[in-house]
Amino acid sequence: MDLILVNLIDGLVTGLLLFMLSAGLTLIFSMMGVLNFAHASFYMLGAYFAFQISLALGFWMGLLIAPLVVGVMGAGVERYGLRRVHQYGHVPELIFTFGLALLIEELVQFIWGKNQMPYEGPDILQFTAFAIAGNSIPAYKIFMIFISVAIFIGLLWVLTRTRVGMIIQAALTYPKTVEALGHNVPLIFMGVFGVGTALAGVAGVIAGPVLGTFPGMAFVLGSIVFVTIVIGGLGSLWGALVASLLIGWITTFSKAYNLRMEDLLTTFGFTKPEPIWDSPWRDLWSITSPQIADILPYVLMVLILIFRPYGLFGKRDA
Amino acid sequence: MTPALELADLRKSFGKTEIIRGVDLSIGKGERHAVIGPNGAGKSTLFNLITGRFPQSGGSITLHGTDLAGKAPFEINRMGLSRSFQITNIFPKMTVFENVRCSLLWSLGYRYNFWSMVGRSRALTEGAEEILEQINLTARRDLPAGVLSYAEQRALEIGITIAGGADVIMLDEPTAGMSHSETDYIVDLIRTVTTGKTLVMVEHDMGVVFGLADQISVLVYGEIIATGTPEAVRANPKVQEAYLGAALEDH
Amino acid sequence: MTDQSTTNASKSAQGVRAGSMMLALTPWCIAAVALLVLPFIFTANSAITIMNQMAITIIFALAYNMLLGQGGMLSFGHAVYAGVGGFACMHIINNDAFFSQLPLPLLPIFGGLFGMGLAMIVGSFSTRKAGTVFAMISLGVGELIAACSVIIVAFFGGEEGISGDRTYGLPFLGVEFLQQIEVYYLIAVWLMLSAALMYLYSRTPLGRMANAVRDNPERAEFLGYSARWVRFYSFVASGFFAGIAGALFAINYEILTEENLNTTQSGIILLVTFLGGVGFFFGPILGAIVFTLVQTVLSLQTELWGFYLGIVFVVTVMFFPGGLAGLIMMHVPAMRLGKLSVLALPYLRTLGAGFVGCLGAAALIEMVFHVRHASVGDHEMTVYWTTFDSHTVLPWVLAIAATVVGFWIARATAPSLAAAWSEANTADGGQP
Repeated sequence: MDLILVNLIDGLVTGLLLFMLSAGLTLIFSMMGVLNFAHASFYMLGAYFAFQISLALGFWMGLLIAPLVVGVMGAGVERYGLRRVHQYGHVPELIFTFGLALLIEELVQFIWGKNQMPYEGPDILQFTAFAIAGNSIPAYKIFMIFISVAIFIGLLWVLTRTRVGMIIQAALTYPKTVEALGHNVPLIFMGVFGVGTALAGVAGVIAGPVLGTFPGMAFVLGSIVFVTIVIGGLGSLWGALVASLLIGWITTFSKAYNLRMEDLLTTFGFTKPEPIWDSPWRDLWSITSPQIADILPYVLMVLILIFRPYGLFGKRDA
Repeated sequence: MTPALELADLRKSFGKTEIIRGVDLSIGKGERHAVIGPNGAGKSTLFNLITGRFPQSGGSITLHGTDLAGKAPFEINRMGLSRSFQITNIFPKMTVFENVRCSLLWSLGYRYNFWSMVGRSRALTEGAEEILEQINLTARRDLPAGVLSYAEQRALEIGITIAGGADVIMLDEPTAGMSHSETDYIVDLIRTVTTGKTLVMVEHDMGVVFGLADQISVLVYGEIIATGTPEAVRANPKVQEAYLGAALEDH
Repeated sequence: MTDQSTTNASKSAQGVRAGSMMLALTPWCIAAVALLVLPFIFTANSAITIMNQMAITIIFALAYNMLLGQGGMLSFGHAVYAGVGGFACMHIINNDAFFSQLPLPLLPIFGGLFGMGLAMIVGSFSTRKAGTVFAMISLGVGELIAACSVIIVAFFGGEEGISGDRTYGLPFLGVEFLQQIEVYYLIAVWLMLSAALMYLYSRTPLGRMANAVRDNPERAEFLGYSARWVRFYSFVASGFFAGIAGALFAINYEILTEENLNTTQSGIILLVTFLGGVGFFFGPILGAIVFTLVQTVLSLQTELWGFYLGIVFVVTVMFFPGGLAGLIMMHVPAMRLGKLSVLALPYLRTLGAGFVGCLGAAALIEMVFHVRHASVGDHEMTVYWTTFDSHTVLPWVLAIAATVVGFWIARATAPSLAAAWSEANTADGGQP
């Protein structure tokens, strides 16, 4: 029971981190119809910038400044890159963001090299918040949960309670009408793109110390983020939340509990072929859940796409 | 004789709003039938229901005696019904010739064929050239369709619509947005290319309607209030009142 | 050989048809002759290795363009179809009883069939939608299969992959494919065959409808075609030829690993195809040739090759969406008018200066990189065959000067190039 609680917390941390990325991504997608392949690259930039700033000004200034810098860069990318490519259609847009992802990874290697950066959380959070049955929960994890939840509530509040949020929601569905009402829709698009990438930046700042700050970090998380929003339903914020948490918990639990395919197959009445090392099914029999934890999101995505092509919360005509 | 197209108590709702509220209509073979009505009467929705773009909420549509319920647009097309669109809907990056040739492929039995060369088929080339001749676009043959003038694109649209040899042709506002001379040109074109076929069209321009149609149906608020020859419909007091009333409300 | 050109069949003269046939065949004949003689010109083993790699990349890029250019489907995981085809062939090679009865040149057929089989399974659900949804599914499935390679060791061989020996096959006309040059000709024949088949495919009803569905899927549905099935067939055909490329890879390198399946490989083929140009049949061929050459040369010269590639790619997407082939075909109207020569001098001025600017910028980038990342005390570096101390002032001044002056001249002369361009594309006295 205690172990379940520990894993619930761990999965929550992963899920919320995923959500910070997928929220921005799905917001940008529903507004502009373009899936930003480079989204995770902005997450990486957030971590690297925060590392660089933290060297001079400490972690907290990094948390404050890095997302802003990332957001401004994102807005610049929208203004000078995407808007230009937009005229060619959606597929070139997607290719553009793909190229951008490559370029940012190379740029990071150019500036910081290939090695992992010694980026660490603030000393003030280097203690054990509490312990459950001997498993200590670091304060930094609680801090991560706190930040993500705060951001989610803030985002929800802005979208549903403020004037700007209303305009954004309207622009999502009827950009032409909103433009006719005198609002600067391109500016709104740029703003949303900037805020979305800044969110990714925040995720990078707080995840960097835990998951490591290295040139491959965008790639590692990037494809999982896409899977998340496909599972949740393209363009659905709630779908992104549910799918993020789902993936967070699934991967955490399957890593924590060593379920073996052998046991499962035996339960279903199959007999283990002997000798096992010579059987064509040997890999199937030797699968364990920690081993496949990282590919479970993909399996989940394929299943969702077959049985519910629009995702968990997607609209049919998305 | 079975009618070419028959609608029985056809209904369509979007959410709680019922747009088509029980339409009964029977269109005979070879008939030229125009559907008129004020803006928002549901004419385009009716078209989209018949061609399988939207599923109906109730009632039935039969084409040559076959029920169309649940059929996809491509299946309906294969049964001999072809349509044009209100907003020009062509293949802009392909050449004019290619546009027409692609619309001939299915009807000439090529289906999903990947072993014969389209360039080697005399039937395809000649068929496409014949249609280009009919719609007077022979000179534009090798231009990308996207660069044609608006009237030419509309003509191409009609060419694509008739190319497949469908015997029921549905035209959605074929003269929308055209000048007078262009309209006359398209009307002549429609008359020639649909000879011997069943024509169903939605049109706002009364000149076009009375020039082309032998039967007219008036659709108001999702219901057909009158069907008959142009003269009968024109004389129908109910039509005059309702249509004029609705038209007045509209403007 | 262009995508846009229609066939030249016309009502009138058979003679015209025969003539255009000759014209259409010319590039193919040139290609065949070139493939035949190239090994006699570049005899070095390394050259043949590069040519083999090039040919395999060409087939793969052409297969990829069946999706991207002709079908409008963007795949981020196409390497798996080539990879699975290759792995399957590797297993055939390792199955002595079967392989000793099979002439090696027939092996690619099996690769194609396995690639096609996988494409049929995946395509059955991934081709329902085009655009973003298709792209995401392709990415997810690609990642899934790549990740499986370390789990399903029996088929993918785990970390170290699987290897075999191609020479155990049934000798084909006495050839056992011990030497690189024999493999070269095997690949060359398959290259010609696959390219011709893919070209012909684009001329069939299904190939034409792939274009129609790309441009306007809804209209295509009202012509009697199911957009989904048209996409599915394109996808399956593309999987087949990708599988052939994978099989040739297996024959050439005799080893396949996870690297043949992963997203990096899929990304590279997207890069190659797009840089070459998706709008024309010969675009991917051009892309594969240029990419392989530049990669071979540059990756030896600089660590930053990926960085330059990224820049070139992003610039291409933004400013030249037609790729290399598009750039070349832009000049056809001027050539038809016989006014290509008008452009020569302005090109030399502007592009020459721009090139110098790029060289200067690249030198700067290299120097910054060296100063930042070279081991402490290592001040010596080599750029453009010149060795110097990266901590002295002179090289920096030179590089900055070249960059600034180069780009400045390019910018200043750009208007005259634009004027020359419009002049070259206007027929004397009238219609453009």
